[in-house]
Amino acid sequence: MLLYKLPLMKNYRKRELIATCKKNGGSNLIRNINKLLRKPKQKNNDIQAEQERQDVKPVDFLSNHFDHNVEAFRMVYDRCSDVVFRPFLLFGKKRATIIYIEGITNVEGMEEFVLSPLIKETASETQPLNEFLENKLPISKVKRMHTIAECIESISSGNPILLYEGESAGFSLGLAKWEKRGIEEPIAEVGIRGPREGFNESLEVSTSQLRRIIKSPALKIQSMKIGSYTQTTVAIAYIDGLVDPTLIEEITNRLKRIEIDGILESEYIEEMIEDNPYSPFPQILSTERPDTACSSLLEGRAVILVEGTPFSLIAPISLFSLLQSHEDYYQRFMVGTLIRWLRYSFLSISLLLPSFYVAILTFHQEAIPTALLLSVSASRDAVPFPAVVEALLMEIMFEALREAGVRLPKQIGSAVSIVGALVIGQAAVQAGLVSAPMVIVVAITGISSFMIPRYIAGIAIRILRFPIMLLAGTLGLLGIMMGIISIVIHLCGLRSFGVPYLQPLAPLKGRELKDVLWRSPLWKMDTRPHLTGEFNRYRQSPDLAPSSKKGGDTQ
Amino acid sequence: MKNILHILCIFGLILLLSGCWDRVEVNDLAIVTAAAIDIKDDNQIELSLQVFIPKALSTGGGQGGSGQGGGGAATLVRSQRGSNISDALSKLQSKIPRKVFWGQCKVFIFGEKLAKQGIQEHMDFLLRHPQPRERAYLYVSKGNPKDALEVLPPLERYSGEVLRELSDLHIGMQVTMQDVQEGLVGVAQAGAFPFIKILPPGKGEEKLQGIPYIVGTAVFKKDKMVGTMSEKATRGILWLRNEMEAYTVILKPEGVKGEVSLNPVSARIKLIPQIRNDKWKMLVNVDTEGAVVQNGTNLALTSPKSIQTVEKAYQEDIKDRIELAIQQAQHKMKADIIKFSKEFYRKYPKEWKKVENRWDEVFPKVEVEVNVEAHIRRQGYINKPGGLPEKEVKKQ
Repeated sequence: MLLYKLPLMKNYRKRELIATCKKNGGSNLIRNINKLLRKPKQKNNDIQAEQERQDVKPVDFLSNHFDHNVEAFRMVYDRCSDVVFRPFLLFGKKRATIIYIEGITNVEGMEEFVLSPLIKETASETQPLNEFLENKLPISKVKRMHTIAECIESISSGNPILLYEGESAGFSLGLAKWEKRGIEEPIAEVGIRGPREGFNESLEVSTSQLRRIIKSPALKIQSMKIGSYTQTTVAIAYIDGLVDPTLIEEITNRLKRIEIDGILESEYIEEMIEDNPYSPFPQILSTERPDTACSSLLEGRAVILVEGTPFSLIAPISLFSLLQSHEDYYQRFMVGTLIRWLRYSFLSISLLLPSFYVAILTFHQEAIPTALLLSVSASRDAVPFPAVVEALLMEIMFEALREAGVRLPKQIGSAVSIVGALVIGQAAVQAGLVSAPMVIVVAITGISSFMIPRYIAGIAIRILRFPIMLLAGTLGLLGIMMGIISIVIHLCGLRSFGVPYLQPLAPLKGRELKDVLWRSPLWKMDTRPHLTGEFNRYRQSPDLAPSSKKGGDTQ
Repeated sequence: MKNILHILCIFGLILLLSGCWDRVEVNDLAIVTAAAIDIKDDNQIELSLQVFIPKALSTGGGQGGSGQGGGGAATLVRSQRGSNISDALSKLQSKIPRKVFWGQCKVFIFGEKLAKQGIQEHMDFLLRHPQPRERAYLYVSKGNPKDALEVLPPLERYSGEVLRELSDLHIGMQVTMQDVQEGLVGVAQAGAFPFIKILPPGKGEEKLQGIPYIVGTAVFKKDKMVGTMSEKATRGILWLRNEMEAYTVILKPEGVKGEVSLNPVSARIKLIPQIRNDKWKMLVNVDTEGAVVQNGTNLALTSPKSIQTVEKAYQEDIKDRIELAIQQAQHKMKADIIKFSKEFYRKYPKEWKKVENRWDEVFPKVEVEVNVEAHIRRQGYINKPGGLPEKEVKKQ
């Protein structure tokens, strides 16, 4: 009996659902405010009349009727428990309402500077009320809003809206204030010397940090909103006169193309605007250091700041930008140069060492010194796997450990690393599953992959390590060479906002090698790198090198 | 995009088609550390290989965890007879469970008997095979070369390493496969190999703990060994070939009692060929410097006069050695191992052409003049003879 009834019931339910959907305006996916405000096509008889009277449209201006306006907002903020409507009597005469969202509005300020003066004061009617509000309220930002959409935006960003009887406009009061994280040391890019400030989740703080470093009004910050639900503010910062105007145009165009539900992190932007989406190499640099961002600005690059994340984007870049660290410039140039060379050599070790080990052990045993081969063969004697399998196993194990260590809570993370070290290092060798030299190779590779200052670049190298290892295991050194050649070809084809990825090397620009192959002393870096289009070549006066003859007039 | 992915997949699979065809794991290799080749009475070649045993070296890797350490031998020696090397090798492979790998073999030892019969055929195998190194050292051993492989040297891991290290010290001749190939193919058509013997184990050492060591030079004419040279004559050859390194010259200066020992520090040798009136002459100019290592005389080496005395003795000594070596090579062996022919060929190509076919006859008639310029540049930490009372030191 019951079983027989069930499909019938299901059918009924379905029909009901479709009906409700249609009632709600044909689609139950409401993508933005405009849709929320749009007049439903199929109206319910009960509210039809009321809605027609109100006639609310997104671009609709506020009506003269105070009640209608309030009702319109109540409809928009239906079932939003965090939105507060505060009705009161303006000067004891006119009805008024303040609409704000709890938590992002400065409530104390509102009580002190808005509610108390407006409720108490018995204003003389000599001055029109709207002028009074704009001129006499002790608040820095008061703005008249004429459309409902404007008002909603103002409320969402924390500025309360004041509506009162007899006025067809709302007043946006600049009282936004919410809990922000303080400025902290950037965790992903630490250093010994240099500023300890990092960008912040709130955009204003980040832009203010840029402005504090570059005081010139030539620093322009253009903002736009992306994300139909999140309405995330994205700001493009650049220095007028240093940047190629077409670059800003291109960035703006690419940003405008993005139509997406929401932007939660700058990676969303990065993936939407990069030149070669199928490359493992990042073509946009992300940084959480204001000093790094500013140095890029001064080189004529653009910085894209995204609300809600401390990571800003820098474009255009080249491969070598990923291998430079902010500390290269905060140390003596010789130290910076040596460390840079160290980094380059460890980059190749990180990419190739396990592959070389595998290739030499399986194809080119004659290529290493006899004593070394004998030691290796002695320690490999009991190992049951071929060298490729051994290498892949260990490398995957290492990557898993690294990932676990990053993602897990700190307390468990240390336990994981202890277990991992025991498993990988000690037990595996003693059990005869892997050879000791392999452990050393994996360890060196691991260390060297952490030498790359940008985490994303390091990951790209790590991904490429595995195919090269397979090539080495099948074709030996020949395979490694093929792998290297194909990577180089790929790199030659990459571009970042029109700038070739291997810029100062290919195409060769001798003038710019000073900041790539080595780190010249700052007094020698007279010229900016040339990115695209017109550029402002000189960044400092020539002949800045200090010497005893340039002491000036003091005796 | 899908097409590109397909193409990428196909290319990726092409790479794997080779299927690792010549992949060999280290565990499957029998690493040859030294090889010996000799001929037996029945005219059969005997090939002996010294193969490294990884197990002997591994510590902790296997079960039990206790390494065998230095107790066991690090190598094993297997030998096999065959009509030639390749035949013997293919038979030998059936006795060794791992693939024979020549890539690290740096020592090849020929038996004296085989050397006298000619080594050309065997050199062909070693040069043709892709694995043996061209820079491997070649030796000729007195007696059975297999014995040299079987000894268990107390200091090194295996006897092959002993020989290699000795060669690297330039104690005797240092001859690689490439040198031999060049010498035999080139204008001189002669070669010199280090000649080795086995040093018997000392008192208290086990029976096999002797080591092979270099005693002199085996001289080859064409590909056949014609005789040996003593250690002293070998030094002279080393002087001429500019391969002199660590050894000590002991001399007796005129007019004083005792000996002075010197270490040659640097040496420049110039071979200047001359043909005058159809008379072939070779000028050997030696310019050398030495450092005093021991002074058993009462000469104070600070004064120029006493230094001159010593220098003169030094010159005489070197001249004697070189002349001895040339005498042996030129008249006893009649083999041009000093490469006079090359010098003549370079300077007088036309004249050389005429004698090319009868160089064997011409070579012994070449007149040799040796001029030695020897200096003493360093006296060591003390100037006066150590431990000698001031009164007895001869001042000049």
